[in-house]
Amino acid sequence: MIGNDIVDLQLAKIESNWQRKGFLEKQFTQKEQKEILNSENPFLKVWLFWSMKEAAYKCYTQKHQKRFFAPQKFECSLVSEDVGTVSFATAKFHTTTFLNTFYNYTIAEENKEGLSVFSSIGSPQTIDKDLKLKLAEKTGVSHQEIEQRKSFVGAPSYYHKEKLLTSSCSISHHGNYGAFAFTLENES
Amino acid sequence: MLVLSLKNIQNKMTKEEIIIKLTTIVKPYIQNEEAFKNLTEATDFMSDLEINSANLVDIVLDVEDEFDIIIDNDSMEKMLTIKSVVEIIQEKQLA
Repeated sequence: MIGNDIVDLQLAKIESNWQRKGFLEKQFTQKEQKEILNSENPFLKVWLFWSMKEAAYKCYTQKHQKRFFAPQKFECSLVSEDVGTVSFATAKFHTTTFLNTFYNYTIAEENKEGLSVFSSIGSPQTIDKDLKLKLAEKTGVSHQEIEQRKSFVGAPSYYHKEKLLTSSCSISHHGNYGAFAFTLENES
Repeated sequence: MLVLSLKNIQNKMTKEEIIIKLTTIVKPYIQNEEAFKNLTEATDFMSDLEINSANLVDIVLDVEDEFDIIIDNDSMEKMLTIKSVVEIIQEKQLA
């Protein structure tokens, strides 16, 4: 399974106040809070951890088809500046984050299955079409015949006629950015 | 009978009052005006109102302040719809 999450940092600055009383305590573990507060740039660390948690949650819900809001139960550990893991109960997700001054973009995978991950960042308005074009290119079908379906938890999957094309798929929007990540069905 | 029905009315009022307060709380975070206009108990914060998941925490904190309750992690986990929040508030207010 694969999950992704993008955070538009300019928008995050306006939309949320991470210094609000209770904000860190509700979402982050003690260990994460300490890491955030000791960091050179706590704001960036908040959103790095947040995108890791969200991407891991999206992996988890695709498999278990269950929604809930428990950010604190997903604990982040960084191996380096941009690579880490997120633990939730007995599950472990491997994350890679793309960091720049505009956004944080995390891709999480539950297992290193060796599947090719196709991912791209674009505008929120065109991301669905971008994804279809990429899928068309990889599967050889017409992008106009590709159709999106949503599961009970809202996770998208893509079909050509009745044939499933994606084995796992995740889409994220925030502010000026849209991003997709998917793995192919015929590769698994 | 009379007592019972009065009690029912009172409960109903309370629930409606909660929803009115909740509507004011969620308003700054919504991204789907249409769903907000048609808000019911069944309205989902993320899939209907398109509230950013990071702002759900703000809603939790606002609800705590406004209703003077503490929302523990187990309750927070269920906070996906207006209905679930109403139930949590009612439960905490009884306690």
